Amino acid sequence: MNLIQQKLKEIGSDWELLIILAKRDISVRYKQTILGLSWAVVKPVATMLVFLFAYKQVAKIQDISGYPIQLVIFSGILFWNYFANSLQAISNSILVNSNLISKVYFPRLIICFSSIAVSLVDFLVGLVVYLILALSLHQSISPYIVFLPIALFITSLFALGLGLIFASFSVKFRDVQQIVPLIVQYGFFATPIVYTTKQLSEKSWFLYYNMINPLAGLVELFRACLISQYDLLTGQNLSISIIASVAVFILGIIIFDKREDSFVDYL
Amino acid sequence: MHIIEVDSVSKKYELSANKGAVSLKNGLKNLLTKEEKEIFWAVNDVSFALNRGDKLGIVGSNGAGKSTLLKILSKITKPTSGEIHVRGKVASLLEVGTGFHPELTGRENIFLNGAILGMSKQEIKSQFDEIVDFAGEQISRFLDTPVKRYSSGMYVRLGFAISAHLNPEILIVDEVLAVGDADFQKKSLGKMREVAANDKTILFVSHNLTAVANLCNKTLHLEKGKVKQFGETGEVLSNYMAALQTNRLEQNYDTFDSAPGSQQIRLKRATLIPELLEGQSYLDIRNKINIGIEFWNTETNQQLNVSLHLFASTGECIFNVGTPAGTFGLGLVQANLEIPGHFLNDGTYHISFMVVKDKSIVLYNFEEVFNFEIADYREDTTWYGKWPGYVRPVFPFPIRQLSDSI
Repeated sequence: MNLIQQKLKEIGSDWELLIILAKRDISVRYKQTILGLSWAVVKPVATMLVFLFAYKQVAKIQDISGYPIQLVIFSGILFWNYFANSLQAISNSILVNSNLISKVYFPRLIICFSSIAVSLVDFLVGLVVYLILALSLHQSISPYIVFLPIALFITSLFALGLGLIFASFSVKFRDVQQIVPLIVQYGFFATPIVYTTKQLSEKSWFLYYNMINPLAGLVELFRACLISQYDLLTGQNLSISIIASVAVFILGIIIFDKREDSFVDYL
Repeated sequence: MHIIEVDSVSKKYELSANKGAVSLKNGLKNLLTKEEKEIFWAVNDVSFALNRGDKLGIVGSNGAGKSTLLKILSKITKPTSGEIHVRGKVASLLEVGTGFHPELTGRENIFLNGAILGMSKQEIKSQFDEIVDFAGEQISRFLDTPVKRYSSGMYVRLGFAISAHLNPEILIVDEVLAVGDADFQKKSLGKMREVAANDKTILFVSHNLTAVANLCNKTLHLEKGKVKQFGETGEVLSNYMAALQTNRLEQNYDTFDSAPGSQQIRLKRATLIPELLEGQSYLDIRNKINIGIEFWNTETNQQLNVSLHLFASTGECIFNVGTPAGTFGLGLVQANLEIPGHFLNDGTYHISFMVVKDKSIVLYNFEEVFNFEIADYREDTTWYGKWPGYVRPVFPFPIRQLSDSI
């Protein structure tokens, strides 16, 4: 606990640097691509349309667990993109910024934390699209949307924990970088992104599934914040996910702290 | 109370077959087999202490551990053993324009680079105009252009301008003086002097001994990671130069059997003797250098000549000269070369030569026979940047006023 406190204090003392690095990533992203902002819109919308087509036209499904297909999928994708993009950005943050790390000292965690910024902006853009989509489908917005920042916070902890572990090891073992895209690719289907936990909840192994994949509880938390009268989030799911996220975050910090001193020697 | 205390600091690197990052497979293999690694001490048991306001020059040849020491002092890398106590805010400039992002504008990069170097947003804001002013008029016109469109000169000027406005108690600088055009260097050095005048502590690594002599009151001489000498600049520098500038390089072999070479030819003696001026203690760019080569030849009636190569420390060949070919019999053969003064630039050079038979067959190549350094020498100058180029000839290059009207 002391370590976590000390690390957070380090970041706090260099808060301005964190902000400016985050700003750098955001402005670079939106300057480099002509489409800029629209990427954050096109990607989730396109993914949703593909699944909508598959469900409605091919599988002849009209709703998912009683909720509109569009909203279930879009909220799932919003969540997944935020998690996956953050995870990838954090995992690569040390290597991508190696020129900085080998030339200046600052608390290394800052570069990992600041790399979430772009995913966060993308998420907010996607959220606006979601709200428009929900209104156009004549669906009301859940009042629990006020808890969305908490859902984002817990997801960020999980992404950070996992990302820090990958970032720590990828400096010395470069092929660790290859693992993250695989997690992102298969995790998309192993997590209830384009389906819900209801379709799994009768299974005898559902509890263990939640423990192995804490993202399942998190995605349902997002939906509970976004889809009105969404009742697939159970207290048990949620608590498993929160505990797992905090545990992974702490583990990530511990591993990062152990390895950060040797980063420069391998860059 | 010392502002910086370095207490027997060492940094070890393990050189394995696969240096730096490794693949997972090799990583696992290493874990299992405990492969023997070559150990290299980049910095070895270095201790020194500085008082507030000291300006320390760190000198030493390439690979002496200067850069590693700076990285340890700026907390970029941890020492393997030993301790460092630093009392005060440190800013390190190991490169100009650290973290500049090519896509961002000059203005954005000032804030980014400033923050990376440890300035607060408020500090940057309050100094913004001064920074732009210092960087020059060209920069101020292109302040809102992405720096990827800057010329390298502009890039460096902006980088230095930001660095120059840092306000730490301790400043760690690596060779950044050697940037930009002469005019900008003058300004940079002026700024460094200004900084040096107040009670800031500076640690300054440079190959440029003239700059060290001008800026620093203390000097640390590193050799192969160890402290060779630490003390007052004048004393350390003259010892450093004297040790480095072996004023006479000589290789002597008394007997044929012990001498390097081939069956047919063996080196007896090779000498490199600079013609020093009066009062001079080491070789600089002004001096003429005499090179003498004597070798034994064991066969009669041989057409031989000597071909000599001079290389820069980077490995590039600066020139290749050859003696005319002559017919020689059994016994000693001598060749002499005179390299004029005001020809080679300051730097580290090495010399190889070969004995050639019938103008085409290399009998033996004596590699890296001499390794020597030529010091810089300038008079009446305010510019201390590295003089570019491998040669530094003095050609007639007059300039005069042609008319007094426009």
